[in-house]
Amino acid sequence: MDDVLNSKFEKLIRGQITYKSNNLGLNLLISRLQRKYMANQADEVLNNCLKEMNAFFEKYQSVLTKDVESLKNL
Amino acid sequence: MLVTLDEAKRLIEEGKTLHIAADENMLNKLPKGKWIAGTTPYFIAKDGGITCKDKLFVDEIPWVDDCKTSVYDKSNIFDITKDAYPNGISFLIMPFASEVAVLYSKEAPYVEDLLMTPIVGWISGYDLSMSAKAKVYDGVSGESYDDKAVVLHISLPDDKIASLGIVNIFDVDESDAKIEFMEDALSVKKCLVNGEEVNFADYIENNKIDTRLPLVADYNSVLVNVSIKNISEKDRSVDLYAPVFKSSIYRFAKPVEDYVSSFGENLKGFDDIQPVFSCNCILNYLYGKLEGKAIPPFAGPVTFGEIAYQLLNQTLVYACIIDK
Repeated sequence: MDDVLNSKFEKLIRGQITYKSNNLGLNLLISRLQRKYMANQADEVLNNCLKEMNAFFEKYQSVLTKDVESLKNL
Repeated sequence: MLVTLDEAKRLIEEGKTLHIAADENMLNKLPKGKWIAGTTPYFIAKDGGITCKDKLFVDEIPWVDDCKTSVYDKSNIFDITKDAYPNGISFLIMPFASEVAVLYSKEAPYVEDLLMTPIVGWISGYDLSMSAKAKVYDGVSGESYDDKAVVLHISLPDDKIASLGIVNIFDVDESDAKIEFMEDALSVKKCLVNGEEVNFADYIENNKIDTRLPLVADYNSVLVNVSIKNISEKDRSVDLYAPVFKSSIYRFAKPVEDYVSSFGENLKGFDDIQPVFSCNCILNYLYGKLEGKAIPPFAGPVTFGEIAYQLLNQTLVYACIIDK
């Protein structure tokens, strides 16, 4: 797990930063995880959201390289 | 592309993996094979929109390492994510107004695995001038259904990956009234308009809102439409073609003067796209008068709902298979 990227994921899920991708699935995922966390801000929920985000990026890493770079630079 | 019955039969007999859309009388004549289908007599062909009952719209799916068809009902539709191949794409067709389609529309946005699985597809329909039923077909078994979903799961080679996209010609004015709903629903009476509770039907009528315009919600820059089906005079409820969700903020879309021009504008930069599948909404076809009008590079069935992971309305949906 990339710590820099993970910290950006956390801020994204918490709504502390915004990021709009060209990837439909990623945008829908960000939206869903933000709503999920907003409804219940428990640590467990945040961790589950982070797991989902990491799993998505792992599966689609070949098409998300620009998104990774952009997120790290946010 | 639109093909004759004989051409469709030839493609099936050659062992091609196919997604097919056509009128029921055509689909009933197809031999078994590696295909799924749904009913619709409306298409956007290369030369433009057309209503046609003597041809079939066939997408030959390339790069197929392996494939299988599955049939689901409302009790197991979300097994679709477990049954999908690890690197693949799943084509999903569900009949209009079926229980499985209703359940999918309400629950899909909450399913955790859903976005890990490229699911693309549509809601099958029928000739609106006749009384008919929407159906789906599993070409492997030769069975057809008006109450089940069919899925063609495709496994792709390691160097390929599926990519889904949408084209939504509708946009919102951020200064317009915010509309929220108290529950996830396909039929609504009350809503909050800028925080104040009103009857939704009254709000639409009092503000002379054109019900050809969808409600639009922003999902991290993905604009998702919910189309108005009808207003019931009897109980003052508003029926919708997709559910509204209580966690979303909606606005009515800005009017679109010319659907074809608007699609053209939205498709600038799409010259290199090579879709393996696309579909467009029947409401765009009717309201936008798309008969005879082409929307390159996209061609495909005109549908009673579109699926890109979740159910969409008044949207063009497409799938590509690209290099990793």
